[in-house]
Amino acid sequence: MEATIAAAQRQGYTSAVKQVMKTNFTSALEEIKAHINQSDFIAVSSQKTGDFFSSSSSWRRVLPIDTPEVAYLKSKVSADNFQLFQFAVCPFSIQGSKVLASPYNFHLFPRDELGLGMPSYSFSCQTSFLTSMAQEGFDFNACIYDGISYLSRVQESKAKERNPVPRMHPISSSFNPSVADSLFMGRIKSRIEHWRSACKNKDSVADGSLVKSLRKLILGDELYGSRPCMNIEVCSDRQVQLTLEIVNKIGDDLVPLVVPEKCGAPKAVRVVLTSSDEDKILLMSDIENVEDEQNLKVRGFREVIDLVSRSQKPIIAYNCLHDFTFIHSKFLAPLPPSLSEFMCSLRLVFPNILDVNHLCKEVGPLRKAKNLPATLSYLKRQFFVPIEFEIPHQADVKTEKDHGHNVLRITTLFSKLYNLLKLSSERQEPYEEQHRSIEDYTNIFHPTYTSFQESGDNENVILSMNKNRRKVSTDNIVFLWGFGDRISASELKSHLKGIHPVFSEDFDLRLVDKACSVIVFWSSGAAQALLKVMESGEMISIDLKLAGYEAYKKVCKSGLWEAGLANSLEAALAETELECDLSASSAKDSSDIYWNSELMIDLDNL
Amino acid sequence: MRKPWLFQTLTLTLARPFSSSAPSTNVAVKKVTKSNFESSLSDLRARIKECDFVAVDLEMTGVTSAPWRESFEFDRSDVRYLKVKDSVEKFAIVQVGVCPFRWDSAKGSFVSHPHNFYVFPRKELQSKDSAYEFLCQTTSMNFLARHQFDFNAWIHEGISYLSRAQEAEALQKLSSSYEDRLSNSNPEEWVEIPTGSTSDLLFTERMKIRFQEWRDGIIRHPNGVCPLEENPDSKKLQFQTIFFKMRPAVQLNGFNSHQLKLIKLVLRKHVKDLVYVRTDDENSSPQNIVVYADSEQDKFSLMKEVKDDHQKSSEAKIESSVGFRHVIDILSSEKKLIIGHNCLLDIAHICCKFVGPLPLSMGDFASFVHKVFPYIVDTKHLISASNAIQYLMKKSSKSLSSAFSLLCPKISSASQSSASNSYVKVEVETNETCETGLSCWNSGAKHEAGYDAFMTGCVFAQACSLLGIKFETNSPTIDFTRNEKLQHHINLLYPSWNSGTVINLSTGVEAPELGYKRKYPTIVFSNIVLVWGFLSKLAPKDLKDCISKVFGADSVTSVFFLDSTAALVQFSKEEFVNDFLILKDTLEKNDDAIAVLHPLAKLLEGGNTRAAGYETYKEICGASASKVLFADQAEAIGIRWKTKIDRVNEEAKDVDEYSDVKQRNERKTDKEKSNHQISYDDVLSSLRASKPLCGKHVKNT
Repeated sequence: MEATIAAAQRQGYTSAVKQVMKTNFTSALEEIKAHINQSDFIAVSSQKTGDFFSSSSSWRRVLPIDTPEVAYLKSKVSADNFQLFQFAVCPFSIQGSKVLASPYNFHLFPRDELGLGMPSYSFSCQTSFLTSMAQEGFDFNACIYDGISYLSRVQESKAKERNPVPRMHPISSSFNPSVADSLFMGRIKSRIEHWRSACKNKDSVADGSLVKSLRKLILGDELYGSRPCMNIEVCSDRQVQLTLEIVNKIGDDLVPLVVPEKCGAPKAVRVVLTSSDEDKILLMSDIENVEDEQNLKVRGFREVIDLVSRSQKPIIAYNCLHDFTFIHSKFLAPLPPSLSEFMCSLRLVFPNILDVNHLCKEVGPLRKAKNLPATLSYLKRQFFVPIEFEIPHQADVKTEKDHGHNVLRITTLFSKLYNLLKLSSERQEPYEEQHRSIEDYTNIFHPTYTSFQESGDNENVILSMNKNRRKVSTDNIVFLWGFGDRISASELKSHLKGIHPVFSEDFDLRLVDKACSVIVFWSSGAAQALLKVMESGEMISIDLKLAGYEAYKKVCKSGLWEAGLANSLEAALAETELECDLSASSAKDSSDIYWNSELMIDLDNL
Repeated sequence: MRKPWLFQTLTLTLARPFSSSAPSTNVAVKKVTKSNFESSLSDLRARIKECDFVAVDLEMTGVTSAPWRESFEFDRSDVRYLKVKDSVEKFAIVQVGVCPFRWDSAKGSFVSHPHNFYVFPRKELQSKDSAYEFLCQTTSMNFLARHQFDFNAWIHEGISYLSRAQEAEALQKLSSSYEDRLSNSNPEEWVEIPTGSTSDLLFTERMKIRFQEWRDGIIRHPNGVCPLEENPDSKKLQFQTIFFKMRPAVQLNGFNSHQLKLIKLVLRKHVKDLVYVRTDDENSSPQNIVVYADSEQDKFSLMKEVKDDHQKSSEAKIESSVGFRHVIDILSSEKKLIIGHNCLLDIAHICCKFVGPLPLSMGDFASFVHKVFPYIVDTKHLISASNAIQYLMKKSSKSLSSAFSLLCPKISSASQSSASNSYVKVEVETNETCETGLSCWNSGAKHEAGYDAFMTGCVFAQACSLLGIKFETNSPTIDFTRNEKLQHHINLLYPSWNSGTVINLSTGVEAPELGYKRKYPTIVFSNIVLVWGFLSKLAPKDLKDCISKVFGADSVTSVFFLDSTAALVQFSKEEFVNDFLILKDTLEKNDDAIAVLHPLAKLLEGGNTRAAGYETYKEICGASASKVLFADQAEAIGIRWKTKIDRVNEEAKDVDEYSDVKQRNERKTDKEKSNHQISYDDVLSSLRASKPLCGKHVKNT
């Protein structure tokens, strides 16, 4: 039974996700708006052009030794460099075992629609990502030719500054005009009145072209659409207010628009003359439409992000820290330099984010599963949680394209866990204590990290040494390099044991990359002792070099990503020495990581 | 030889230059992807061997990684090279057009074979450390899309490649790992079987017994005819004896990797004459086999055989990964004349992607290129160098399409009057019997590398004719590389479109181009100061004004904005550079009223304005990071100081000048007048002039 449902789902996947391109974006936007309003949750997932998370060789991926802060810094680099080609959004609601979902997959391309060098001047691609997308049958032509562009919120305001359009302006009342103001007002008033009466009289007289151009010269007469209008030059916000005041006083048939200059300051007030009240309403709605159209053109796909944000509904994602650094950097603003700032900024826009990955940790056996398909198949084998998908038929579905069904996987996983854990979306039953609320799980991000190189030739069997998680202070972590790049972790470890008494204690050693290793001491103080030995100039070995966790943090903060970790650490140490001359005492803060275990960031603790 | 050849005489219609649409032409360009690469390569090899010259063109994923990385007139030759190098290292090649031209004396026409290769840097080798990553410039991707570039063909079917350096590295790694494994093949290692779960324990014990039994069976029946003994305990563990390298062996099927690891350890510890082998055959999936070796020596020779096999298959894999580079190798080894249009960047890409990393300086680069391609002619330089051609071009644009339509109207337009002899005839040869059918022939379109290469070759042939090189029916093949008339055009390339110089690749000397019209007055790099991090609302005029107020009206020769956050300011005298830097430094140190009201305050507003000499500009351009804004880039490469004063110069200054500086800082009230000195009065008057800075309106009554 389960199998048939699964098969049906799989079949359903291929045609269920609505593919959205530039051509059908406007209509899809209206549809998704309705679906978002009706839904209880919104699942999101995205397809990137590359990712340092998964580049298996580099220390740039998120490692078990990374504190949340470092994990954030690593995600930030990926989000800054790579691009999103697809973004899937699936508003859904759960009614018992029935899941009502309407998945959309948006194809994105950062086309510079406005000619302002935005949204991105350039972006990186990893060939492995492009190749695997190609294997899934991704249509790059469609994406690049016909993908939807976007601007982030910050970019939008920049674009408006640089590409100004006339817009309505609120009138702030109550001010006391000075003498200069009165003079200005009087002058403007007579100009407008003169022009207005001229326009009204004009209706009866058919002017020759010469008269028309003369009028244009003398009166500043122009046309706004089919309506006459005139421009009044202004040089300050004060003058704008005065002009608006006057226009209001003169007559109801005038509509003032503020024309801003390139840098955002007002340049002129454009006064449009309407023929009747109905005409005025028509003009107002026209202007609004133009503004909306302009906004859509500028924001592009970000309209969808704004819809999701405005709905305030819980957002379901997998590997949130990672996905939301991308969302923040592409659709909101450049990523801030620290994790706490990022979380604050993100929470303003998306108050409820739920990481399915975190939810999985509630179900003991799922902790081990490393990725989404593995989790799903494990869940299917171990638990009976029937889920029935209902995807309302969506018109113009192209069956041959089946991208973005990762979002359906997330939806499925969440729905199953939701039923399994008997979650409720509202805190309506406080007496039922075993029923936990969704809110207990929101805004906790689980950075998933890839494990250390599990030596390719499988020479060593002894890989999992500590099954239970162990809290380790970053003070007890030391980086060691200078041993060349042809030695295995176990060889190095046994070599170290003979080198210095510090290493007679129990410690753990792993290779971070070819030429750099990390040592975790189980007893506190050993790491400090070792670093002191090094500082004192006593040679442990001629080539070996050491650095504490601070140096590693510094490497990540200052973005020394290019080289191997050993080189970057050396660079960081060299810089630290320079800085130490300037400020001898820099507060050193230590934090804890869970060695060989999950890392988590609880937003509410920040 | 394959036949019949279809000769197609060109009757193509090309739209006017600069038309935005991409008109398709009647030139048949062969599209080469992964699937037809092997066959096309052998074909092309023959064509290149017999040809007189080869035209080459590239399409890339981008050109500049940031706006300030564009080529400026203010770039010194070394800076310009760093920009080319950055572009080449960051962006990928998407298409390579290769078009060999051969003079057919019987027909009195050139015969050409335009090829269009889709090239994608797919990661073919499983090397751990090199992450294949490249940059795409959004506008370039859009440009390609506008010209109907097929991104699917590029990513799905593009031909991969290894550069010579990458190949050498891969082979070196392979041989060193081979030696490692040989020397480690028989170590008296301390083997420990992990005492994990009970199931593991049971499994290892069972395996030990099974393998021992099997081995005993082999020994009892040395002829290898091991009877299928009845196995009472489990049918699943039935071992079927096969032969591997002339030795009895058992294939291990249906074990998971953990179990295989355990088996390996059990054998090493308990059953010494059985060897665990993992075959890595290219044609089949890897297999795990346990082989019986009758002696230590036999064991050793078995391991050696296995490793040799592995070595061979790895070498074959590396060999096949060379891919598209074979084409470049042919061009290089045949020492053919290479023709490109404005091709320095193309050549740099080819050398970096297919030969090895680019050297650090322009001079080394020239000799590096010269070794790979001894003869290169840049058609853009060729058509600019000859007055006759310039006259014909009527000063129109020197772009490839414009040159093509003006110089080769016979090829680019439909009319085929054979009356005039002044035009060189060019034919395109197509091979009907293409295995994959019609799909590999495309009609060429502008900005498609294959067609662009064809146009470049046609322009070259016509330009040669205009230079007086005769192409006549029955005339023998022309040796272009030795031709006198072409001699002084070979290996001369433009470093960039606005450098105003020409680099000679055979000598490495960069010389000014005659007749180049500069936009800016003569540039003296030692007079230039780099300023960045100021507020983006500061206009070039403001910048010039506020510096002129301090140093005198004629002190600033030119101001050039790199982007909205950075500018190069050229002073009329070299000493102004240091004076400016010292003044800025002092103003920032004494954060008092005078500093706030100083004319330079406008430049220093925001507190992030930094300044340094021209060398810092070079340093920043040489860094590998690429932030969109120059100020961000400077920060990214770790510049924390605000002003970099050249200390050597400062100390070398004589006392008089040093006191000038002091005066400027208002520590002396000496009222000595000079055109660039500031007295107290000057400061006061400039304060008046800069009053709007304080944000107060002063009403003139």
